[in-house]
Amino acid sequence: MSSDLAIICEGIGKRYLVPHRRQQKTSFLGELRDHLKEYTGLAGRDDEADYFWALKDITFSVKQGEIIGIVGSNGSGKSTLLKILSGVTEPTTGRAITRGRIGSLLEVGTGFHPDMTGRENVFMAGALLGLSQADIRKQFDEIVDFSGIGRFIDVPVKRYSSGMYVRLAFSVASLLSSDILILDEVLAVGDGAFKEKSEKAINRIANDGRTVILVSHSMHAIRQMCQRAIVLNKGEMVTDTGTDNAVRTYLRLMHDETEQPIDIRTLPARVDISNKQDEDFPRPFNTLKWVEIANQNGPTRSFRTGDKMVIRIGYEMPKPVDPCYFTIFVTDDVGERIFVSYSFHDGDRISFPPTGVIECAIDSLPLLDGTFSIDIDFGRVSETDIRYIDFVPRTMEFAVEQGNFLGARPLLRNQGVVAQRTRWTATSSNQITTDSDVPRLARGAKR
Amino acid sequence: MNVRVIDSGRKSPFPPIAEIWRRRELTALFVRRHIASRYRQMALGGLWAVLEPLAQLMLMSVVFGYLLRIHTNNYPYAVYVFAALIPWQHFTRSTMAVAGSLQENMGLISKVYFPRLILPVAALIRELIDSVIQVGVLLAVSAWFGYYPSWRLLLFVFPTLVFISLAGAGLGLCVASIIVRFRDIRPALSIALQGGMYLSPVLYAASVVPERLQFWYQINPMYWPIETFRWMLLDQPLVLTSALPVAMAPVLVLMLLGLVLFTLNERKTVDVL
Repeated sequence: MSSDLAIICEGIGKRYLVPHRRQQKTSFLGELRDHLKEYTGLAGRDDEADYFWALKDITFSVKQGEIIGIVGSNGSGKSTLLKILSGVTEPTTGRAITRGRIGSLLEVGTGFHPDMTGRENVFMAGALLGLSQADIRKQFDEIVDFSGIGRFIDVPVKRYSSGMYVRLAFSVASLLSSDILILDEVLAVGDGAFKEKSEKAINRIANDGRTVILVSHSMHAIRQMCQRAIVLNKGEMVTDTGTDNAVRTYLRLMHDETEQPIDIRTLPARVDISNKQDEDFPRPFNTLKWVEIANQNGPTRSFRTGDKMVIRIGYEMPKPVDPCYFTIFVTDDVGERIFVSYSFHDGDRISFPPTGVIECAIDSLPLLDGTFSIDIDFGRVSETDIRYIDFVPRTMEFAVEQGNFLGARPLLRNQGVVAQRTRWTATSSNQITTDSDVPRLARGAKR
Repeated sequence: MNVRVIDSGRKSPFPPIAEIWRRRELTALFVRRHIASRYRQMALGGLWAVLEPLAQLMLMSVVFGYLLRIHTNNYPYAVYVFAALIPWQHFTRSTMAVAGSLQENMGLISKVYFPRLILPVAALIRELIDSVIQVGVLLAVSAWFGYYPSWRLLLFVFPTLVFISLAGAGLGLCVASIIVRFRDIRPALSIALQGGMYLSPVLYAASVVPERLQFWYQINPMYWPIETFRWMLLDQPLVLTSALPVAMAPVLVLMLLGLVLFTLNERKTVDVL
C-alpha cells in the first residue's frame, strides 16, 4: 500500500439476500433453509434472483488529508459503502484497505445512552471509537468547549435539545483524534454558527493530514468542503472526479435527465413560458408569456463575467394591475439564490402598461463561472405588502464564463459566485503608524 | 499505523481474545453503563439489588415453606431455597443476557465496529456482579437463621458462580447470533429455562427424587452448582457420583461450540437484522 493512501477500495460489491423476491410462496422450512444458507454460506439452490446487489464493483482510493464527498440519492448504496469502510459489515466481493483508526459518525450520537450524562457518553463514544480513557481525558475539555455544552455536560443527554445532542456528538467524533473520519449527513443539523464551526473543524482535520469522508445531500456543503466527490447511483459508481462535475452529475441523475448533458449555450435564448406549469406554483392568472436574455451583442445564453445582460419578459395582464412589480431571481445550479431584483429597486417603478415587454438591464454581470437559472415573478404592490400573481420558476438557464474580468489570475471554483472588481491602494507605513494608531492596531490584531 | 483489510475472506473460528483484552476499557464501560442505567432515576437506587431478591424470597417462603410445607431435609426453608435460587437465577440471567446481547445492541452494532464478543462478556460480568450482591444478601439471611459462612463458602462460592456463568454463556452464545433473525428463540428459551428450574433441586430437596432416577437427575449440569451452594452454606453433604463428569462434558462442549458459532456468525447479524 502506497504510503500516502488512507483508503483503497478494490472492486467492492455487497449483496443482500432478499428471499421474498421469489414468486412462489415458500414453506416455513424453505424460509428456514434460506436463512440458514445466509448464515452458513452452505450450498443450496443458488438463485441469483434471491439477491439484491446494494453495491457493485466500487473501486477508488483516497489520499491522506483528502476530504472526499460521497453523493447519491437515497438507496444509492452510500450507507452500505460507509458500513463496509468502517468495518461494520463486510463486502461480498472485493476488499477495502484502511490505514489508521477510523472514527465514524454513521449516525449522530452513536453509542449515546439517553440516561447517561454528556460526560459519561463522551467517554463511551470515545471507547467505541477505540480510544483509551486516558486519551479521552486529555481531549475532554476541548470537546466540551467546542460543543458549547458548558455546565450541561453533567446532565443526562435525554434532557438535551436536539441541537445540543448533535453538537456534542459531532465534537466527540471530530476532536477525538482518528485518522479517518467518516461523517454521514451530520452537517445538515445544528444551527448556522455551529455548522460554520464544524466546517472549519473538518478543514483543520484535513490540514492535519487526516482523511475525511463526507456524505451529504447538501450540494452546497459538498462543494464547499470537498475537492473531489464520488457519485453513486443504484449501487454503482457513476463518477469519481472533481466536485463540480460530481455535483452536476448528481443533479442530472436526481432530475432523471439523460446521461448526455445538453450544452445549454446552444439552446434558444428566447423561451415561451405561457404554458409552463409547475406543481408547486399553480398559475391561475397566467401573465408571464416569454423570456429572452441577451448580452451586448444580442440574444444568447452564453455570457462572460462583466457582460451586459438584458432580460426581456413578454407579459399580458388578464386585467390591469396597478401598482405592480416584476421580479427576477437568479439561482445557481443547486438552487441557491444568488441575487434577486425587483422592478421597484429602479427608482420605485411600480407602474406598467397592461400588456407589453419589460426589460431588465444589468450593466455588468457580477457572476463567476457556472450555470445559473432565472425565476420570474409578477405581482401586486399594496400599501402594506406585495402579493404574487404569477410566478414561473426555472424559466431558463444560462452559462457564465469568467474570462479575464478579474485579470490574468482568475478566481477558482470554490472562491464564491460573485465577481467584484476592487481597487487596492498602498500607503507608505510611516504615514499611518502615528502614536494614536498603535493601540488600535494592536487591539485589532488580538481579535 | 495499523492497516486493516476488510474483505469477505474465510474467517477464523478462533475468538479474537487479544483484541478483546485490548478493548477491556470498553467492556468495563458497557458493564458500568448497564448497571448505572438500571438503577438511575430510582429513589432507592442500588438498594433494589438487595430488596428485589429479599422480597422474592419472602413470597416464596410463605407459599412453599409455610403453606405447601415442602420437604427441605429439615433446613429452614428460606435459606434452603435461597441458596439454590441464587445459582439458578444466575444461570438464567446469564443465559438470557448473553443470548440477547447482540439483538439488544443492534443499534450500536450496525453503526460502529468493535469486537462483538465484548457484548456477551460485558453481559456476563454485570450478571456476575448482581449475583455477588445477592450472595451477600444470602449470607445475611442465613446468619439470621444461625448458619454462618464457612471456609468452604469463601473458597468455592466465586468459582461456582463463574462456572455457572460459563455454562450460561455456552448456551447463550449458541443462540445469540441466530436470535437476531429468529426472535422466537427468546421466549422459547425463557420457557425452557423455567422448565429447567423444576428439573433442578431449586424449590425442593434433591432427595425427593427416587433413587433409581438419581443418575439421570444428576446429569443435569445445574444440579451440581446448586448442591454445591447448599453444601457450602448449610453443611448438606455433597456426594460426588459418576454423573458428575457426564454433566460437565456438555458444558465444555457447549461453551466451545458457542464461541465458534458466535465468532463465525456475528458479522452477518448486521446483514440479516
